[in-house]
Amino acid sequence: MRKSSPMSIDMPSLLELQLQLRRAVLGGDGAGLVAAIHGDGLDPAVRLRIYRNHAFAALGAVLESTFPVVRRLVDKRFFAYAAHEYLREHPPHSRLLAEYGADFADFLASFEPCADLPYLADVARFEWALNMAATVREAAPLPIEALAAVPRENAACLALRLQPSVGYFASGWPIDTIWQANQQSEVPMVDLASGGTTIEIRRADEGFSWQRLDPGAFAFRRALAEGFALAAAAATATVEDTAFDLAAALDRIFAEGLAVGLGAC
Amino acid sequence: MGLNTSGRSSGSARQGEGSGFLFSGASVGTGMVTKPPPPSNCNAGIGLRLPHVAEIVATRPHLGFLEVHAENYMAETAALDRLLELRPDYPVSIHGVALSLGSAEELDRPHLGRFKALIERVEPVLVSEHLAWSTVGGAYLNDLLPLPYTEESLEIFCRHVGEAQETLGRRLLIENPSSYLRFRHSTIPEAEFLTETARRTGCGILCDVNNIYVSATNFRFDPIAYLDSLPAAAIGEIHLAGHHAAENVDILIDDHGSRVALPVWELYSAALKRFGAVPTLIEWDTKLPPLTILLDEARHAQELADVHRHAQFA
Repeated sequence: MRKSSPMSIDMPSLLELQLQLRRAVLGGDGAGLVAAIHGDGLDPAVRLRIYRNHAFAALGAVLESTFPVVRRLVDKRFFAYAAHEYLREHPPHSRLLAEYGADFADFLASFEPCADLPYLADVARFEWALNMAATVREAAPLPIEALAAVPRENAACLALRLQPSVGYFASGWPIDTIWQANQQSEVPMVDLASGGTTIEIRRADEGFSWQRLDPGAFAFRRALAEGFALAAAAATATVEDTAFDLAAALDRIFAEGLAVGLGAC
Repeated sequence: MGLNTSGRSSGSARQGEGSGFLFSGASVGTGMVTKPPPPSNCNAGIGLRLPHVAEIVATRPHLGFLEVHAENYMAETAALDRLLELRPDYPVSIHGVALSLGSAEELDRPHLGRFKALIERVEPVLVSEHLAWSTVGGAYLNDLLPLPYTEESLEIFCRHVGEAQETLGRRLLIENPSSYLRFRHSTIPEAEFLTETARRTGCGILCDVNNIYVSATNFRFDPIAYLDSLPAAAIGEIHLAGHHAAENVDILIDDHGSRVALPVWELYSAALKRFGAVPTLIEWDTKLPPLTILLDEARHAQELADVHRHAQFA
Protein backbone atom coordinates (compact mmCIF):
# COMPACT_ATOMS: atom_id res chain seq x y z
CA MET A 1 0.00 0.00 0.00
CA ARG A 2 1.28 3.43 -0.80
CA LYS A 3 1.45 5.92 1.94
CA SER A 4 -0.76 8.92 1.55
CA SER A 5 1.38 11.70 0.20
CA PRO A 6 3.77 13.02 2.84
CA MET A 7 5.23 15.49 0.33
CA SER A 8 6.23 18.80 1.71
CA ILE A 9 6.75 21.86 -0.42
CA ASP A 10 10.50 21.62 -0.08
CA MET A 11 10.71 18.05 -1.36
CA PRO A 12 13.73 18.11 -3.68
CA SER A 13 13.27 17.23 -7.33
CA LEU A 14 15.14 14.13 -8.46
CA LEU A 15 17.78 16.26 -10.17
CA GLU A 16 18.30 18.47 -7.10
CA LEU A 17 18.59 15.41 -4.90
CA GLN A 18 21.13 13.79 -7.22
CA LEU A 19 23.25 16.95 -7.36
CA GLN A 20 23.18 17.07 -3.55
CA LEU A 21 24.12 13.42 -3.29
CA ARG A 22 27.02 14.07 -5.65
CA ARG A 23 28.23 16.81 -3.30
CA ALA A 24 27.88 14.44 -0.37
CA VAL A 25 29.77 11.61 -2.10
CA LEU A 26 32.57 13.65 -3.66
CA GLY A 27 32.92 16.53 -1.25
CA GLY A 28 31.70 14.99 2.00
CA ASP A 29 29.14 17.78 2.27
CA GLY A 30 25.84 16.11 3.09
CA ALA A 31 24.30 19.01 4.99
CA GLY A 32 21.71 19.70 2.30
CA LEU A 33 20.57 16.09 2.27
CA VAL A 34 20.35 15.11 5.90
CA ALA A 35 16.78 16.37 6.25
CA ALA A 36 15.69 14.20 3.31
CA ILE A 37 16.98 10.95 4.86
CA HIS A 38 15.29 8.70 7.39
CA GLY A 39 17.54 8.14 10.39
CA ASP A 40 16.23 4.60 11.01
CA GLY A 41 18.24 4.61 14.22
CA LEU A 42 21.39 6.12 12.74
CA ASP A 43 22.74 9.57 11.97
CA PRO A 44 21.84 10.21 8.29
CA ALA A 45 25.39 11.51 7.83
CA VAL A 46 26.69 8.04 8.73
CA ARG A 47 24.43 6.54 6.08
CA LEU A 48 25.73 8.98 3.47
CA ARG A 49 29.28 8.09 4.44
CA ILE A 50 28.67 4.44 3.49
CA TYR A 51 28.10 5.51 -0.11
CA ARG A 52 30.98 7.99 -0.03
CA ASN A 53 33.38 5.37 1.33
CA HIS A 54 32.31 2.84 -1.25
CA ALA A 55 32.76 5.21 -4.20
CA PHE A 56 36.17 6.37 -2.96
CA ALA A 57 37.38 2.85 -2.22
CA ALA A 58 36.35 1.59 -5.65
CA LEU A 59 37.80 4.52 -7.59
CA GLY A 60 40.92 4.54 -5.42
CA ALA A 61 41.42 0.87 -6.27
CA VAL A 62 41.19 1.72 -9.98
CA LEU A 63 43.97 4.29 -9.59
CA GLU A 64 46.10 1.89 -7.52
CA SER A 65 45.87 -0.76 -10.21
CA THR A 66 46.78 1.69 -12.97
CA PHE A 67 49.62 3.45 -11.12
CA PRO A 68 51.34 0.79 -8.96
CA VAL A 69 54.81 2.31 -9.31
CA VAL A 70 53.62 5.80 -8.39
CA ARG A 71 51.97 4.22 -5.35
CA ARG A 72 55.18 2.49 -4.41
CA LEU A 73 57.26 5.63 -4.84
CA VAL A 74 55.08 7.73 -2.54
CA ASP A 75 53.96 4.92 -0.22
CA LYS A 76 50.48 3.60 0.25
CA ARG A 77 49.13 6.21 2.64
CA PHE A 78 50.32 9.20 0.68
CA PHE A 79 48.93 7.66 -2.50
CA ALA A 80 45.53 7.24 -0.85
CA TYR A 81 45.66 10.91 0.14
CA ALA A 82 46.66 12.07 -3.35
CA ALA A 83 44.02 9.80 -4.95
CA HIS A 84 41.41 11.22 -2.60
CA GLU A 85 42.26 14.80 -3.55
CA TYR A 86 42.29 13.89 -7.23
CA LEU A 87 38.94 12.08 -7.05
CA ARG A 88 37.29 15.05 -5.41
CA GLU A 89 38.31 17.42 -8.17
CA HIS A 90 38.37 14.97 -11.08
CA PRO A 91 35.59 12.41 -10.79
CA PRO A 92 35.31 10.03 -13.75
CA HIS A 93 33.51 11.37 -16.78
CA SER A 94 33.59 8.09 -18.65
CA ARG A 95 31.56 5.12 -17.52
CA LEU A 96 34.43 2.90 -18.60
CA LEU A 97 36.74 2.82 -15.62
CA ALA A 98 39.61 1.68 -17.83
CA GLU A 99 39.60 5.29 -19.03
CA TYR A 100 39.82 6.77 -15.54
CA GLY A 101 43.08 8.44 -14.57
CA ALA A 102 44.07 10.00 -17.91
CA ASP A 103 44.88 13.32 -16.21
CA PHE A 104 46.20 11.90 -12.93
CA ALA A 105 49.75 12.67 -14.10
CA ASP A 106 48.84 16.32 -14.73
CA PHE A 107 47.25 16.45 -11.30
CA LEU A 108 50.41 15.09 -9.68
CA ALA A 109 52.55 17.59 -11.59
CA SER A 110 50.77 20.46 -9.88
CA PHE A 111 50.10 18.73 -6.55
CA GLU A 112 52.16 20.73 -4.09
CA PRO A 113 52.91 17.90 -1.62
CA CYS A 114 54.67 16.01 -4.47
CA ALA A 115 56.90 18.94 -5.42
CA ASP A 116 60.05 17.20 -4.15
CA LEU A 117 59.50 14.26 -6.55
CA PRO A 118 59.83 16.07 -9.89
CA TYR A 119 59.87 12.81 -11.88
CA LEU A 120 56.66 11.46 -10.32
CA ALA A 121 54.27 12.90 -12.92
CA ASP A 122 56.33 11.35 -15.73
CA VAL A 123 56.23 7.96 -14.00
CA ALA A 124 52.44 8.33 -13.93
CA ARG A 125 52.40 9.25 -17.63
CA PHE A 126 54.50 6.19 -18.37
CA GLU A 127 52.22 3.88 -16.38
CA TRP A 128 49.18 5.36 -18.08
CA ALA A 129 50.74 4.73 -21.51
CA LEU A 130 51.56 1.12 -20.53
CA ASN A 131 47.97 0.54 -19.49
CA MET A 132 46.56 2.07 -22.64
CA ALA A 133 48.84 -0.03 -24.86
CA ALA A 134 47.77 -3.20 -23.06
CA THR A 135 44.12 -2.65 -23.94
CA VAL A 136 44.59 -2.24 -27.69
CA ARG A 137 44.41 -5.24 -29.97
CA GLU A 138 47.40 -5.76 -32.29
CA ALA A 139 46.94 -5.76 -36.07
CA ALA A 140 48.50 -8.23 -38.51
CA PRO A 141 52.04 -7.07 -39.38
CA LEU A 142 52.87 -6.10 -42.95
CA PRO A 143 55.74 -8.03 -44.61
CA ILE A 144 58.64 -5.94 -45.85
CA GLU A 145 57.98 -7.23 -49.37
CA ALA A 146 55.02 -4.84 -49.47
CA LEU A 147 57.52 -2.00 -49.86
CA ALA A 148 58.89 -3.46 -53.09
CA ALA A 149 55.45 -3.18 -54.67
CA VAL A 150 55.37 0.60 -54.21
CA PRO A 151 56.03 2.40 -57.55
CA ARG A 152 59.26 4.39 -57.41
CA GLU A 153 57.47 7.67 -58.20
CA ASN A 154 55.33 7.23 -55.05
CA ALA A 155 58.23 6.45 -52.74
CA ALA A 156 58.82 10.04 -51.61
CA CYS A 157 55.28 10.33 -50.38
CA LEU A 158 55.05 6.89 -48.79
CA ALA A 159 53.88 6.65 -45.17
CA LEU A 160 53.65 3.62 -42.86
CA ARG A 161 50.81 2.81 -40.54
CA LEU A 162 52.12 1.35 -37.29
CA GLN A 163 50.56 -1.01 -34.75
CA PRO A 164 47.48 0.63 -33.19
CA SER A 165 48.83 0.05 -29.69
CA VAL A 166 52.17 1.75 -30.23
CA GLY A 167 53.08 4.87 -28.28
CA TYR A 168 56.20 7.01 -27.90
CA PHE A 169 57.24 8.32 -24.55
CA ALA A 170 60.01 10.80 -23.79
CA SER A 171 61.11 12.18 -20.45
CA GLY A 172 64.01 14.16 -19.04
CA TRP A 173 64.20 11.53 -16.27
CA PRO A 174 65.27 7.86 -16.49
CA ILE A 175 61.66 6.75 -16.14
CA ASP A 176 62.20 3.24 -17.50
CA THR A 177 64.98 2.63 -14.99
CA ILE A 178 62.81 3.90 -12.15
CA TRP A 179 59.91 1.72 -13.34
CA GLN A 180 62.09 -1.37 -13.67
CA ALA A 181 63.65 -0.84 -10.25
CA ASN A 182 60.21 -0.74 -8.69
CA GLN A 183 59.21 -4.10 -10.10
CA GLN A 184 61.63 -5.72 -7.65
CA SER A 185 61.03 -6.52 -4.02
CA GLU A 186 64.20 -4.66 -2.98
CA VAL A 187 64.34 -1.43 -4.95
CA PRO A 188 67.92 -0.78 -6.11
CA MET A 189 69.40 2.72 -6.17
CA VAL A 190 68.51 4.64 -9.31
CA ASP A 191 70.82 7.38 -10.54
CA LEU A 192 68.40 10.19 -11.28
CA ALA A 193 71.21 12.13 -12.93
CA SER A 194 71.67 9.41 -15.55
CA GLY A 195 69.58 11.44 -17.95
CA GLY A 196 66.37 11.21 -19.89
CA THR A 197 64.92 8.44 -21.93
CA THR A 198 63.06 7.81 -25.16
CA ILE A 199 60.83 4.73 -25.14
CA GLU A 200 58.50 2.86 -27.45
CA ILE A 201 55.51 1.12 -25.83
CA ARG A 202 53.23 -1.42 -27.44
CA ARG A 203 50.87 -4.27 -26.69
CA ALA A 204 52.44 -7.70 -26.27
CA ASP A 205 50.80 -10.98 -25.38
CA GLU A 206 48.15 -10.20 -22.79
CA GLY A 207 49.95 -7.10 -21.58
CA PHE A 208 52.43 -4.52 -22.78
CA SER A 209 56.09 -4.30 -23.72
CA TRP A 210 58.45 -1.38 -24.01
CA GLN A 211 61.92 -0.76 -25.29
CA ARG A 212 64.34 2.12 -25.08
CA LEU A 213 65.13 3.59 -28.50
CA ASP A 214 68.09 5.75 -29.49
CA PRO A 215 67.06 9.34 -30.30
CA GLY A 216 67.25 8.83 -34.09
CA ALA A 217 65.04 5.73 -34.18
CA PHE A 218 62.69 7.33 -31.65
CA ALA A 219 62.26 10.49 -33.76
CA PHE A 220 61.77 8.43 -36.91
CA ARG A 221 59.16 6.10 -35.49
CA ARG A 222 57.31 8.81 -33.63
CA ALA A 223 57.09 10.87 -36.84
CA LEU A 224 55.74 7.82 -38.69
CA ALA A 225 53.18 7.24 -35.95
CA GLU A 226 52.08 10.85 -36.38
CA GLY A 227 51.49 10.21 -40.10
CA PHE A 228 54.60 11.79 -41.62
CA ALA A 229 55.91 10.32 -44.86
CA LEU A 230 59.13 8.30 -44.81
CA ALA A 231 61.17 11.15 -46.23
CA ALA A 232 59.96 13.67 -43.66
CA ALA A 233 60.33 11.18 -40.81
CA ALA A 234 63.88 10.39 -41.92
CA ALA A 235 64.71 14.10 -42.00
CA THR A 236 63.44 14.41 -38.42
CA ALA A 237 65.59 11.47 -37.38
CA THR A 238 68.67 12.93 -39.03
CA VAL A 239 68.32 16.04 -36.87
CA GLU A 240 68.67 13.78 -33.80
CA ASP A 241 71.26 11.45 -35.26
CA THR A 242 73.39 12.56 -38.21
CA ALA A 243 74.33 8.91 -38.87
CA PHE A 244 70.67 7.84 -39.15
CA ASP A 245 70.38 4.93 -41.63
CA LEU A 246 66.94 4.83 -43.26
CA ALA A 247 67.26 1.36 -44.81
CA ALA A 248 68.41 -0.20 -41.54
CA ALA A 249 65.67 1.60 -39.61
CA LEU A 250 63.02 0.28 -42.00
CA ASP A 251 64.38 -3.27 -41.78
CA ARG A 252 64.09 -3.15 -38.04
CA ILE A 253 60.53 -1.77 -38.09
CA PHE A 254 59.37 -4.61 -40.31
CA ALA A 255 61.35 -7.20 -38.37
CA GLU A 256 59.57 -6.08 -35.20
CA GLY A 257 56.15 -6.42 -36.83
CA LEU A 258 55.51 -2.75 -36.22
CA ALA A 259 54.24 -1.78 -39.68
CA VAL A 260 50.68 -2.80 -40.44
CA GLY A 261 49.86 -0.81 -43.56
CA LEU A 262 51.00 1.65 -46.21
CA GLY A 263 49.70 5.15 -46.73
CA ALA A 264 50.52 8.30 -48.63
CA CYS A 265 51.24 11.77 -47.36
CA MET B 1 71.85 -1.29 -11.22
CA GLY B 2 72.10 -2.68 -14.70
CA LEU B 3 70.35 -0.57 -17.25
CA ASN B 4 67.29 -2.38 -18.49
CA THR B 5 66.23 -1.15 -21.85
CA SER B 6 63.09 -3.10 -22.32
CA GLY B 7 60.28 -4.50 -20.27
CA ARG B 8 57.22 -6.56 -20.61
CA SER B 9 54.27 -7.41 -18.52
CA SER B 10 51.32 -9.66 -18.91
CA GLY B 11 47.81 -9.41 -17.73
CA SER B 12 47.88 -5.71 -17.11
CA ALA B 13 44.64 -5.00 -18.89
CA ARG B 14 42.20 -4.27 -16.17
CA GLN B 15 39.01 -6.10 -15.62
CA GLY B 16 36.41 -5.51 -12.98
CA GLU B 17 33.54 -7.80 -11.98
CA GLY B 18 31.34 -10.54 -13.12
CA SER B 19 27.90 -11.94 -12.62
CA GLY B 20 24.39 -14.40 -14.61
CA PHE B 21 21.57 -16.57 -17.26
CA LEU B 22 18.26 -16.00 -18.82
CA PHE B 23 15.30 -16.35 -20.53
CA SER B 24 14.53 -16.24 -24.09
CA GLY B 25 11.68 -15.26 -26.26
CA ALA B 26 10.57 -12.33 -24.16
CA SER B 27 9.62 -9.32 -26.16
CA VAL B 28 9.86 -5.68 -25.30
CA GLY B 29 6.85 -3.65 -24.35
CA THR B 30 4.32 -6.41 -24.10
CA GLY B 31 3.78 -6.37 -20.37
CA MET B 32 4.27 -9.59 -18.47
CA VAL B 33 5.73 -12.48 -20.35
CA THR B 34 4.88 -16.09 -19.91
CA LYS B 35 7.45 -18.12 -18.07
CA PRO B 36 9.40 -20.75 -19.96
CA PRO B 37 9.31 -24.32 -18.66
CA PRO B 38 11.90 -25.01 -15.97
CA PRO B 39 15.25 -25.82 -17.56
CA SER B 40 16.13 -29.44 -17.01
CA ASN B 41 19.86 -28.85 -16.93
CA CYS B 42 22.24 -26.64 -15.05
CA ASN B 43 21.06 -23.12 -14.36
CA ALA B 44 23.64 -21.87 -11.88
CA GLY B 45 26.32 -19.54 -13.22
CA ILE B 46 29.30 -17.53 -12.08
CA GLY B 47 30.84 -14.22 -13.00
CA LEU B 48 33.70 -14.49 -15.47
CA ARG B 49 36.76 -12.86 -13.94
CA LEU B 50 40.09 -12.37 -15.67
CA PRO B 51 42.16 -14.38 -13.13
CA HIS B 52 39.86 -17.39 -13.70
CA VAL B 53 39.66 -17.29 -17.48
CA ALA B 54 42.59 -19.59 -18.26
CA GLU B 55 41.33 -22.24 -15.84
CA ILE B 56 37.81 -22.05 -17.23
CA VAL B 57 39.15 -22.39 -20.77
CA ALA B 58 41.24 -25.39 -19.73
CA THR B 59 38.72 -27.23 -17.54
CA ARG B 60 35.35 -26.16 -19.02
CA PRO B 61 33.42 -26.56 -15.74
CA HIS B 62 29.74 -27.48 -15.99
CA LEU B 63 27.90 -24.20 -15.56
CA GLY B 64 24.57 -22.85 -16.71
CA PHE B 65 26.05 -19.56 -17.85
CA LEU B 66 28.79 -16.97 -17.40
CA GLU B 67 28.02 -13.38 -16.53
CA VAL B 68 30.16 -10.35 -17.34
CA HIS B 69 29.93 -6.68 -16.56
CA ALA B 70 29.13 -4.87 -19.79
CA GLU B 71 31.51 -1.99 -19.12
CA ASN B 72 34.55 -4.30 -18.94
CA TYR B 73 34.05 -5.49 -22.50
CA MET B 74 33.24 -2.32 -24.38
CA ALA B 75 36.77 -1.83 -25.71
CA GLU B 76 38.58 -4.03 -28.20
CA THR B 77 40.62 -5.87 -25.62
CA ALA B 78 42.09 -9.29 -25.04
CA ALA B 79 39.40 -9.80 -22.40
CA LEU B 80 36.74 -9.48 -25.12
CA ASP B 81 38.61 -11.98 -27.30
CA ARG B 82 38.60 -14.50 -24.45
CA LEU B 83 34.91 -13.98 -23.83
CA LEU B 84 34.13 -14.57 -27.50
CA GLU B 85 36.23 -17.76 -27.39
CA LEU B 86 34.13 -19.10 -24.50
CA ARG B 87 30.86 -17.96 -26.02
CA PRO B 88 30.18 -21.12 -28.08
CA ASP B 89 30.39 -23.26 -24.93
CA TYR B 90 28.52 -21.09 -22.42
CA PRO B 91 25.45 -18.91 -22.52
CA VAL B 92 26.52 -15.40 -21.49
CA SER B 93 24.64 -12.90 -19.39
CA ILE B 94 25.59 -9.24 -19.73
CA HIS B 95 25.16 -7.21 -16.57
CA GLY B 96 25.39 -3.45 -17.03
CA VAL B 97 26.57 -1.34 -14.11
CA ALA B 98 26.82 2.16 -15.58
CA LEU B 99 23.76 2.95 -17.69
CA SER B 100 22.45 4.98 -14.74
CA LEU B 101 18.82 4.37 -15.64
CA GLY B 102 17.74 6.27 -12.52
CA SER B 103 19.46 9.54 -13.46
CA ALA B 104 17.20 12.57 -13.68
CA GLU B 105 19.26 13.60 -16.70
CA GLU B 106 18.97 11.95 -20.09
CA LEU B 107 20.58 8.61 -20.86
CA ASP B 108 24.12 8.63 -22.23
CA ARG B 109 23.46 7.78 -25.89
CA PRO B 110 27.06 6.92 -26.84
CA HIS B 111 27.24 4.56 -23.89
CA LEU B 112 23.97 2.95 -24.91
CA GLY B 113 25.43 2.56 -28.41
CA ARG B 114 28.47 0.74 -27.02
CA PHE B 115 26.15 -1.48 -25.00
CA LYS B 116 24.19 -2.34 -28.14
CA ALA B 117 27.35 -3.14 -30.09
CA LEU B 118 28.47 -5.48 -27.30
CA ILE B 119 25.11 -7.27 -27.31
CA GLU B 120 25.41 -7.76 -31.06
CA ARG B 121 28.89 -9.25 -30.62
CA VAL B 122 28.15 -11.54 -27.69
CA GLU B 123 24.48 -12.45 -28.29
CA PRO B 124 23.79 -12.85 -24.58
CA VAL B 125 20.91 -14.84 -23.17
CA LEU B 126 20.24 -12.24 -20.49
CA VAL B 127 20.86 -8.50 -20.25
CA SER B 128 20.42 -6.71 -16.96
CA GLU B 129 20.85 -3.35 -15.23
CA HIS B 130 20.00 -1.77 -11.88
CA LEU B 131 17.31 0.15 -10.07
CA ALA B 132 19.83 2.86 -9.20
CA TRP B 133 21.72 5.82 -10.61
CA SER B 134 25.40 6.73 -10.83
CA THR B 135 25.77 9.80 -13.03
CA VAL B 136 24.86 13.44 -12.57
CA GLY B 137 26.31 16.61 -14.06
CA GLY B 138 28.79 14.67 -16.19
CA ALA B 139 30.36 12.88 -13.20
CA TYR B 140 30.22 9.09 -13.02
CA LEU B 141 30.28 8.23 -9.33
CA ASN B 142 30.99 4.51 -9.78
CA ASP B 143 28.40 3.41 -7.29
CA LEU B 144 24.81 2.22 -7.46
CA LEU B 145 23.24 5.18 -5.69
CA PRO B 146 19.77 5.08 -4.15
CA LEU B 147 16.65 6.61 -5.66
CA PRO B 148 13.76 8.16 -3.82
CA TYR B 149 10.73 6.07 -4.72
CA THR B 150 8.32 8.74 -5.89
CA GLU B 151 5.93 9.18 -8.81
CA GLU B 152 8.53 11.50 -10.40
CA SER B 153 11.37 8.99 -10.18
CA LEU B 154 9.09 6.15 -11.31
CA GLU B 155 8.12 8.09 -14.42
CA ILE B 156 11.76 8.93 -15.21
CA PHE B 157 13.03 5.43 -14.49
CA CYS B 158 10.37 3.78 -16.64
CA ARG B 159 11.07 6.20 -19.49
CA HIS B 160 14.77 5.32 -19.34
CA VAL B 161 14.14 1.57 -19.15
CA GLY B 162 11.83 1.88 -22.15
CA GLU B 163 14.39 3.90 -24.13
CA ALA B 164 17.17 1.47 -23.28
CA GLN B 165 15.10 -1.56 -24.28
CA GLU B 166 14.13 0.09 -27.53
CA THR B 167 17.70 1.02 -28.40
CA LEU B 168 19.17 -2.31 -27.35
CA GLY B 169 16.36 -4.26 -29.00
CA ARG B 170 16.28 -6.43 -25.89
CA ARG B 171 14.24 -6.93 -22.80
CA LEU B 172 16.17 -5.81 -19.73
CA LEU B 173 16.10 -7.38 -16.31
CA ILE B 174 16.21 -4.73 -13.58
CA GLU B 175 17.95 -5.59 -10.30
CA ASN B 176 16.80 -4.52 -6.87
CA PRO B 177 19.58 -2.65 -5.01
CA SER B 178 21.06 -3.13 -1.55
CA SER B 179 20.23 -0.03 0.48
CA TYR B 180 21.84 1.85 3.31
CA LEU B 181 19.50 4.83 3.43
CA ARG B 182 15.88 5.68 2.73
CA PHE B 183 14.55 9.03 1.61
CA ARG B 184 11.77 10.61 3.62
CA HIS B 185 9.81 11.64 0.56
CA SER B 186 9.64 8.12 -0.90
CA THR B 187 6.00 7.12 -1.26
CA ILE B 188 6.24 3.79 -3.09
CA PRO B 189 7.59 0.57 -1.54
CA GLU B 190 10.61 -0.69 -3.50
CA ALA B 191 9.05 -3.99 -4.56
CA GLU B 192 6.02 -2.09 -5.81
CA PHE B 193 8.29 0.34 -7.69
CA LEU B 194 9.94 -2.61 -9.44
CA THR B 195 6.62 -4.30 -10.14
CA GLU B 196 5.19 -1.14 -11.65
CA THR B 197 8.34 -0.67 -13.78
CA ALA B 198 7.94 -4.20 -15.12
CA ARG B 199 4.24 -3.59 -15.81
CA ARG B 200 4.83 -0.30 -17.63
CA THR B 201 7.91 -1.24 -19.65
CA GLY B 202 7.69 -5.00 -20.08
CA CYS B 203 11.10 -5.39 -18.45
CA GLY B 204 11.89 -8.38 -16.28
CA ILE B 205 13.30 -8.38 -12.77
CA LEU B 206 16.66 -9.61 -11.60
CA CYS B 207 15.99 -10.60 -8.01
CA ASP B 208 19.14 -10.16 -5.93
CA VAL B 209 18.34 -12.26 -2.89
CA ASN B 210 21.37 -11.04 -0.95
CA ASN B 211 20.34 -7.42 -1.58
CA ILE B 212 16.86 -8.15 -0.23
CA TYR B 213 18.38 -9.74 2.87
CA VAL B 214 20.81 -6.84 3.40
CA SER B 215 18.14 -4.15 2.95
CA ALA B 216 15.60 -6.07 5.05
CA THR B 217 18.11 -6.33 7.88
CA ASN B 218 19.12 -2.68 7.59
CA PHE B 219 15.53 -1.41 7.57
CA ARG B 220 13.88 -4.19 9.56
CA PHE B 221 11.34 -5.34 7.03
CA ASP B 222 10.26 -8.90 6.21
CA PRO B 223 12.28 -10.26 3.27
CA ILE B 224 9.69 -12.95 2.57
CA ALA B 225 6.98 -10.32 2.24
CA TYR B 226 9.25 -8.49 -0.24
CA LEU B 227 9.69 -11.68 -2.29
CA ASP B 228 5.95 -12.31 -2.17
CA SER B 229 5.15 -8.87 -3.52
CA LEU B 230 7.30 -9.30 -6.65
CA PRO B 231 5.55 -10.60 -9.78
CA ALA B 232 6.82 -14.17 -10.16
CA ALA B 233 6.37 -14.22 -13.93
CA ALA B 234 8.75 -11.27 -14.36
CA ILE B 235 11.70 -12.82 -12.49
CA GLY B 236 14.33 -13.72 -15.08
CA GLU B 237 17.40 -14.20 -12.91
CA ILE B 238 18.54 -14.40 -9.31
CA HIS B 239 21.78 -13.06 -7.86
CA LEU B 240 23.44 -14.48 -4.75
CA ALA B 241 26.43 -12.87 -3.07
CA GLY B 242 28.13 -12.30 0.25
CA HIS B 243 27.83 -9.46 2.75
CA HIS B 244 29.44 -8.37 5.98
CA ALA B 245 28.56 -6.31 9.04
CA ALA B 246 29.86 -2.75 9.00
CA GLU B 247 32.28 -1.75 11.73
CA ASN B 248 30.78 0.11 14.65
CA VAL B 249 27.33 0.52 13.13
CA ASP B 250 24.42 -1.86 12.96
CA ILE B 251 24.36 -2.21 9.19
CA LEU B 252 25.01 -4.99 6.71
CA ILE B 253 27.07 -4.17 3.61
CA ASP B 254 26.68 -6.10 0.38
CA ASP B 255 30.29 -6.92 -0.59
CA HIS B 256 30.41 -9.46 -3.45
CA GLY B 257 33.57 -10.63 -1.75
CA SER B 258 32.61 -13.57 0.45
CA ARG B 259 30.54 -16.74 0.50
CA VAL B 260 26.76 -16.55 0.44
CA ALA B 261 25.56 -16.39 4.05
CA LEU B 262 23.31 -19.09 5.50
CA PRO B 263 20.20 -16.88 5.89
CA VAL B 264 20.62 -15.83 2.25
CA TRP B 265 20.64 -19.47 1.16
CA GLU B 266 17.44 -19.91 3.16
CA LEU B 267 15.91 -16.90 1.46
CA TYR B 268 17.04 -18.35 -1.87
CA SER B 269 15.06 -21.52 -1.15
CA ALA B 270 12.01 -19.34 -0.50
CA ALA B 271 12.66 -17.52 -3.77
CA LEU B 272 12.86 -20.85 -5.65
CA LYS B 273 9.49 -21.83 -4.24
CA ARG B 274 7.99 -18.58 -5.37
CA PHE B 275 9.75 -18.01 -8.71
CA GLY B 276 10.83 -21.49 -9.79
CA ALA B 277 14.37 -22.47 -10.78
CA VAL B 278 15.44 -19.35 -12.65
CA PRO B 279 19.05 -18.81 -13.73
CA THR B 280 21.05 -18.04 -10.59
CA LEU B 281 24.39 -16.26 -10.40
CA ILE B 282 27.08 -16.48 -7.76
CA GLU B 283 28.30 -12.89 -7.77
CA TRP B 284 31.85 -12.40 -6.52
CA ASP B 285 33.71 -9.25 -7.56
CA THR B 286 36.24 -8.40 -4.89
CA LYS B 287 38.82 -10.45 -2.95
CA LEU B 288 38.48 -13.03 -5.67
CA PRO B 289 38.90 -16.60 -4.34
CA PRO B 290 40.17 -19.62 -6.30
CA LEU B 291 37.74 -20.72 -9.01
CA THR B 292 36.88 -23.87 -7.04
CA ILE B 293 35.19 -21.77 -4.35
CA LEU B 294 32.94 -20.11 -6.92
CA LEU B 295 32.15 -23.48 -8.48
CA ASP B 296 31.36 -24.86 -5.04
CA GLU B 297 28.90 -22.03 -4.38
CA ALA B 298 27.34 -22.51 -7.82
CA ARG B 299 27.02 -26.24 -7.13
CA HIS B 300 25.17 -25.50 -3.90
CA ALA B 301 22.78 -23.16 -5.73
CA GLN B 302 22.20 -25.90 -8.29
CA GLU B 303 21.49 -28.47 -5.58
CA LEU B 304 18.87 -26.23 -4.00
CA ALA B 305 17.28 -25.63 -7.41
CA ASP B 306 17.24 -29.38 -8.07
CA VAL B 307 15.64 -30.07 -4.67
CA HIS B 308 12.99 -27.53 -5.56
CA ARG B 309 12.44 -29.04 -9.00
CA HIS B 310 12.11 -32.56 -7.67
CA ALA B 311 9.73 -31.46 -4.94
CA GLN B 312 7.63 -29.76 -7.57
CA PHE B 313 7.40 -32.79 -9.82
CA ALA B 314 7.23 -35.45 -7.14
